[in-house]
Amino acid sequence: MPRTSTLECPGCPPIRALTFDVLGLVKVTEARSKEGGIPKVVDRWGEPDSSKCILAASIDDRKSGPLLAIARKGGLIEILNPLNGHPCLSISNIIDNGPQPGDDAIVGLHLFKKQNLDLSSRSCTLLACTTKGNASMRSVELTSSHADSTSSVSSRTWNVCASGNILCSQVDGNENYALFGGKGVEVNVWDLEQGTKIWTAKSPPKNSLGLFTPTWFTSATFLSKDDHRKFVAGTNSHQVRLYDISAQRRPVISFDFRETPIKAVAEDQDGYTIYIGNGSGDLASVDMRTGKLLGCFLGKCSGSIRSIARHPELPVIASCGLDSYLRFWDIKTRKLLSAVCYQIIVMSNYLNLLFRSCYVVNFLC
Amino acid sequence: MGAKRKKSEEVGGDDEVGGGKKQILPSTIKNKDKRSAVHAKLKHQKKIEKRKKAKAREAAEKRALELGEEPPVKTIPRTIENTREFDETVCKPDDEELFAGNDADEFSSILNRKSDPKILITTCRFNSTRGPAFISELLSVIPNAHYYKRGTYDLKKIVEYAKIKDFTSLIVVHTNRREPDALLIIGLPDGPTAHFKLSKLVLHKDVKNHGNPTSHIPELVLNNFTTRLGHRIGRMIQSLFPQAPNFRGRRVVTFHNQRDFIFFRHHRYIFESKESKQGDTKGNKDKDAKGEKSSQGKVVARLQECGPRFTLKLISLQHGTFDAKGGEYEWVHKPEMDTSRRRFFL
Repeated sequence: MPRTSTLECPGCPPIRALTFDVLGLVKVTEARSKEGGIPKVVDRWGEPDSSKCILAASIDDRKSGPLLAIARKGGLIEILNPLNGHPCLSISNIIDNGPQPGDDAIVGLHLFKKQNLDLSSRSCTLLACTTKGNASMRSVELTSSHADSTSSVSSRTWNVCASGNILCSQVDGNENYALFGGKGVEVNVWDLEQGTKIWTAKSPPKNSLGLFTPTWFTSATFLSKDDHRKFVAGTNSHQVRLYDISAQRRPVISFDFRETPIKAVAEDQDGYTIYIGNGSGDLASVDMRTGKLLGCFLGKCSGSIRSIARHPELPVIASCGLDSYLRFWDIKTRKLLSAVCYQIIVMSNYLNLLFRSCYVVNFLC
Repeated sequence: MGAKRKKSEEVGGDDEVGGGKKQILPSTIKNKDKRSAVHAKLKHQKKIEKRKKAKAREAAEKRALELGEEPPVKTIPRTIENTREFDETVCKPDDEELFAGNDADEFSSILNRKSDPKILITTCRFNSTRGPAFISELLSVIPNAHYYKRGTYDLKKIVEYAKIKDFTSLIVVHTNRREPDALLIIGLPDGPTAHFKLSKLVLHKDVKNHGNPTSHIPELVLNNFTTRLGHRIGRMIQSLFPQAPNFRGRRVVTFHNQRDFIFFRHHRYIFESKESKQGDTKGNKDKDAKGEKSSQGKVVARLQECGPRFTLKLISLQHGTFDAKGGEYEWVHKPEMDTSRRRFFL
């Protein structure tokens, strides 16, 4: 019988999280006190405007000059300062060839952490991928003033898939390899320096009834920061698969999780635990060495989980989704630490979530 | 044996103390006979106390009225709605993000009167007994509704056909054991899908003293949809009806939400004034006449129920059109959400 009394949630340790939503707003949520703090929305950047809905985001969390890149509907990419939300740069058309068609939305964005050694003009490199498969890598210069159009130092565009829609893309920890997967698109791994596809997955064979499920990857992540060869992908038919590039093209381990598509996958720092979230709000942690489910995170999560992020230092993960709540969970006990409700009507949103480790110095400014 | 004796001594001892601070909980007594006896005694005592208090209150009030003083303040009874658990998602009246969200959601074009609703009603594959009667009543309640037989079409294909024919909503009435028991409301083109459980259906002919509905566009009353989720469901129901009510038709459709159950009622109303000196002015007054409260007395509204009566409960709200396998849910009921009897979601 389920519990019939309410449990008070213990608070969170001091953390700061950024979320992005469908009305184009960036919200900063912080928990200030040392122990048992209740996170609150402290800041909100942007005006509510659904034509500027945020589709993808990526953060470069350096100590000096951190940057946050967000991709909005209509192909606009903005680079902001994550401490105060001031825009540094906005790029209107990242795909070089021709005007951006209206339905080719950006689905994945990555801001590279490697920096050029000459610091005379800071430049940052972006990798963006659209649903039709146009991936583009571009490095732009950051001047101190807000510039609308950019002088790009170098850019390269290539097509990742011939047909189908790309739904997920990730760049590995060393930023040499990127993977792309989607509906009708098997997972590909590309070498970014040379711009070649080094590996493609093969779908599992027909099952005992002779049925073949069409390919539909909804989320993917590399398993650990230094190894580009292993990654985990979640499919629309509620299956989670582990692939190893060096072993074989078919999945090494694959298992089913509940009944709705796997919408978000995030890896842990130990290199073998992952957290998966699906379309009906179930969050669970799995050990990928064996494929065993470690446990589910129980809480009042009733909406599909769109994004999971793990704090770089503390044992805390955060999840957000269509029920417009941001929830913080403790990894070890799998209990809810706290939940923050967002005042947005939930629509076709893409709440992405990036953690920022808490620097006490930066907190005060 | 020894334990039993100890327990009876405990019980006896505490009762002698007089039911003060050290009252024993009946649930700690393992012996069913003794436990039920103690429980019955406690209940009897509580009942006597309650009756004494009520009598004292009535006597005080009567005395105060006789003496011409102010009667003592009536205490407010504690109800589940009064003690509802605090919900942070309750919509506040000055929330600009709510308005921005409303402008951008799927129903805004109908609710801003830019397009008219057009409803397609269909059923599950096997339909019998009360189903067709319910559907014909729905057709009379909701203006601009069309009924198509289900045949053996897939629901996803029906959604596509409806989109081509410019429908704004699709309602599927699902029947189980020869009774309609679920309602699926799908907004089109890619609106949310709400799955309701339908119960307590009373058809038009079974309502006592029923009236006959006309074909005027009804007024819509949506009560108590306070939280974000409730607001969204309220807008979804609102988008089923045209937004230009005909007040002269004196027809009202009510969706009343209480404790997560949505009660549907359909009435015709008349405004009358009671205790008038110049005879009855029972006329067809519309809402403006309520302002002229002349010296004839109070204006009251008389209601006559017509049409079906049923109760809905939301099971799940899915983002996008109906997709059982690949869909993602905005809200789905899970048993771990039921940990408090004072918590409601709509």
